[in-house]
Amino acid sequence: MSGYVGYVGRRLAQFLLVVFIGINIAYVVTHASPIDPVEQSISAVTSFGNTAPDAIEQMRKSLRELYGLSGTPVEQYLAFWKRILSADFGPSMSAFPTPVGTLIGRALPWTAGLLTVSTLVAWLLGNLLGGLAGYYRRSRSLKLMGVIAMGLHPIPYYILAMLLLIVFGFIWPVLPITGGATMNLPQSLTADYLGSVLQHAILPALSLILIGVGSWFLGMRSLVANVLAEDYVVYAELAGVKSSRILTSYVMRNALVPQVTGLAMSLGGIFNGAVITEKVFGYPGLGSLLVDAVYAGDYGLVLGVTTISILGVSVGVLAIDLLYPLLDPRVKVS
Amino acid sequence: MRCISALLLAASVLGSLLFASVAPSQAQGIPQNIPRKDLLILENPEGTVKNAGWFNIWVINASSQSNGLQQAALDTLWYIDPESGLDGVWDNSLAADKPQYNADFTEMTVKLRSGIFWSDGVEFTADDVVATVTTQIKYPAMRFSAVLASNVASVEAPDARTVVFKLKKPNSRFHTNFTVRWGAVWILPKHVFDKVEDPVKFDFNKPVSLGAYVLHSYDPDGKWYIWQLRDDWQRTTLARFGKPGPKYLAYVDPGPPEKRVIAQLNHELDVIHDIAPEGMFALAKQSKTTRAWFKGFPYGHPDPTLPAVIFNTQNENFKNPDVRWALALLIDIKAVAMAAYRGAATISAIGVPPTGTHPATYHAPMEDWLKAFEIDTGKRKIKPYDPTIGKQIADMLRPSMGEQIPTDPADVAKAFGRGWWKTDPQAAQELLEKAGFSKRGGAWFTPDGKPFSVRVMVEGDLRPVMTRAGTMIVQLWKQAGIDAKIDVAQGTLPTRRAAGDFDTFIGWSVETLGGHQDLSYFLDSWHSQFVAEPGKPQPLRNWQRWSNPALDKIIEQIRTVGFDDPKSIELGKDYVKLAVKEMPTIPLMAYNVFTAMDQTYWTGFPTAENPYTNPVPNWGNSRYMFVRLKPAN
Repeated sequence: MSGYVGYVGRRLAQFLLVVFIGINIAYVVTHASPIDPVEQSISAVTSFGNTAPDAIEQMRKSLRELYGLSGTPVEQYLAFWKRILSADFGPSMSAFPTPVGTLIGRALPWTAGLLTVSTLVAWLLGNLLGGLAGYYRRSRSLKLMGVIAMGLHPIPYYILAMLLLIVFGFIWPVLPITGGATMNLPQSLTADYLGSVLQHAILPALSLILIGVGSWFLGMRSLVANVLAEDYVVYAELAGVKSSRILTSYVMRNALVPQVTGLAMSLGGIFNGAVITEKVFGYPGLGSLLVDAVYAGDYGLVLGVTTISILGVSVGVLAIDLLYPLLDPRVKVS
Repeated sequence: MRCISALLLAASVLGSLLFASVAPSQAQGIPQNIPRKDLLILENPEGTVKNAGWFNIWVINASSQSNGLQQAALDTLWYIDPESGLDGVWDNSLAADKPQYNADFTEMTVKLRSGIFWSDGVEFTADDVVATVTTQIKYPAMRFSAVLASNVASVEAPDARTVVFKLKKPNSRFHTNFTVRWGAVWILPKHVFDKVEDPVKFDFNKPVSLGAYVLHSYDPDGKWYIWQLRDDWQRTTLARFGKPGPKYLAYVDPGPPEKRVIAQLNHELDVIHDIAPEGMFALAKQSKTTRAWFKGFPYGHPDPTLPAVIFNTQNENFKNPDVRWALALLIDIKAVAMAAYRGAATISAIGVPPTGTHPATYHAPMEDWLKAFEIDTGKRKIKPYDPTIGKQIADMLRPSMGEQIPTDPADVAKAFGRGWWKTDPQAAQELLEKAGFSKRGGAWFTPDGKPFSVRVMVEGDLRPVMTRAGTMIVQLWKQAGIDAKIDVAQGTLPTRRAAGDFDTFIGWSVETLGGHQDLSYFLDSWHSQFVAEPGKPQPLRNWQRWSNPALDKIIEQIRTVGFDDPKSIELGKDYVKLAVKEMPTIPLMAYNVFTAMDQTYWTGFPTAENPYTNPVPNWGNSRYMFVRLKPAN
């Protein structure tokens, strides 16, 4: 047990280091961006209006002060870490003075809801069908599944999403093609609203599941094929163990270990958002927020989203690192 | 195995049921509980609004402007229409009359209308105008703070219907800050802001409206906003033109262009703000109810904005007008119009957009001067203007577009523009040689012996039409032996444009009021007093950083004449002549906006035949459309 405690301690230290380095890299990259948030704001404000040139310099000065860009780089860096440690990302520059945390808090549930469900469904379906296809290699229906998975997997995501949009939004217009819920329905825990949210999530989720399931399916089928050649599986078959038991306890369980790692990474990655999904289906979420923030040079918002993402991936990896020794005795031994 | 097959079958049946359970009428993007016949659905081109619950438009860049807020809920002193207007281009909105200046333009007096009320029942008075100015001057984080602080010495309301502005320096165009051309300084409700501790942190949710509509509901995730006609709409300035047709307005983010086309084909988006030419062609082909500004080709509404090749005239290579002229003469505008707009462009050889009243004020009267205009190539004099190029574009398109292409010369000029510069590689060569450039082995070299390299900055997929124009121009210059390269700046363009980090870019430094002759809207900012030193940020709009004593003289003269003074037309023509001679930018064409209007539920949209206002739905001026719209059935 003391060995495990030491292992946990080392992993935690590694986790903190990874998060620290990740956030610093994000800080450097965002501040090295050629986009100046002040010029972007001035451009947005003056693009359509009649602003006298002599007023622009005054506006520039005000914005520099307002956005906290007037200190030295060291002062700005220290202020940034002070805010991060108090879980405050400061105000968004492109939606001033609304706090970055508020914007993220509004977008995160949509992203987390859509991507968690679609990632889990794709993972479950892909692994279940892939495992079955690897074990029952003569099944025609599973062979057909393999063909479908191999056919879907290489299709560029954007093409598949557009195809779904055209089929279910135009040719057979039965599903909503934009937004997270029906217009003019108040956000509340009513059956109407929740039903509307589910309807609006069908197409984006379907697009993610169709693309995701293929890769899990193909990966699992290959893993099962390898496990089937292991001595313990051959021995179990020779010993007359029931095939359903061999499949679940001997084959799937062992083949799942790398897939669980993949799942943890995917779940951690949901905090990046799904930019293309959000853009194509007009679905609310973190991805669009991040892209818009990059274009606006909104350092605070970019750093907020990337910090959440770094934490998400790192926590996912840490969780799987901590659980591994409990799931797989071979890891515990090593 | 049977179990697996059964599972797969069950999954497919369940999936089918799920899809079938969704009735088409309730599945698509229409607001619930609002009769479609009462609702006008318009695109908000800002897309998804990050900060959806923020309606305080007076804070810099805080949130949306064109989610219906400026079109339906706000108001200001005057409006100027880029087209003909409902009752002329000028509309006294909250003001009862035009602005009254004193002799030296240091004082402006405004008389206000009576009987106009905020949506919470409080009467609009001069105190609201005063508060709009003083509040913004007090808080530098407010949108118009800088422009008001730099102009206004004091503002007073001697009575409830009069406002007197005392200006810090003479400014004959001060009123244009309160004149809507897309947007303007909107009047804020004093009685609301008086109760607010810090106006910069106040979200103004729910907004108190001075326009004919009030906020009905909005999406906290920023996808849609619905506005409802006020019960007391008669107590707003729009009522002078009748009752607005739609009871509800929905401003929505319909997503990327292909989704906008689908939404309009499904009759779920009445007004598309803008789409690529190809999207417009698809709608024209597939929808019997879609109408654009022009009935047929070229469809789009020419905005009072003039895309051009903008030189960085502080760059050594582009200081000499001969070089700028040489580059202009290497451009084949027909190829550029085809590449950018598939021919659906309205060209302009002069530095004024070919839209609104400008063709009648500037383009047509200057035609003879343009025909006679000569440039000296160093070896000969040439007349570079070809008055038939607009017609040539129309003729080129007629075989494929048939009857959609007009034949009447006036209609051709209106749709495709008049003339442009002849492509003349020989004259271009002579001009470059005159400027000290040399051609060796098919490539051009600068006077100091370096390859003549020109980067053409574009915004990439953020502005595809301009990117296509830039790409074609690069090809044409390359063919002539110039080391031209496309420089895709994407979102960095505003930063690089202000910093002067470009050789040339495709964009605009000319924007006008459209419906009025006055050019000072952009021209005043071209005075040399505003040109930044190399390396320092340039304020808008003289991105070319061009300074010229003759131009300064013209601008200074314009400052001394009134807004409506006919002298300003003559001075405007002087600017056009100077810009043609000096070629600080190469004007290309109007910024054609493909606004598509579906007439399934509403009729009476503004069009080229009935140009009572600008149909582009993010303009504040588009409010005039509401009073002319009638239910289709």
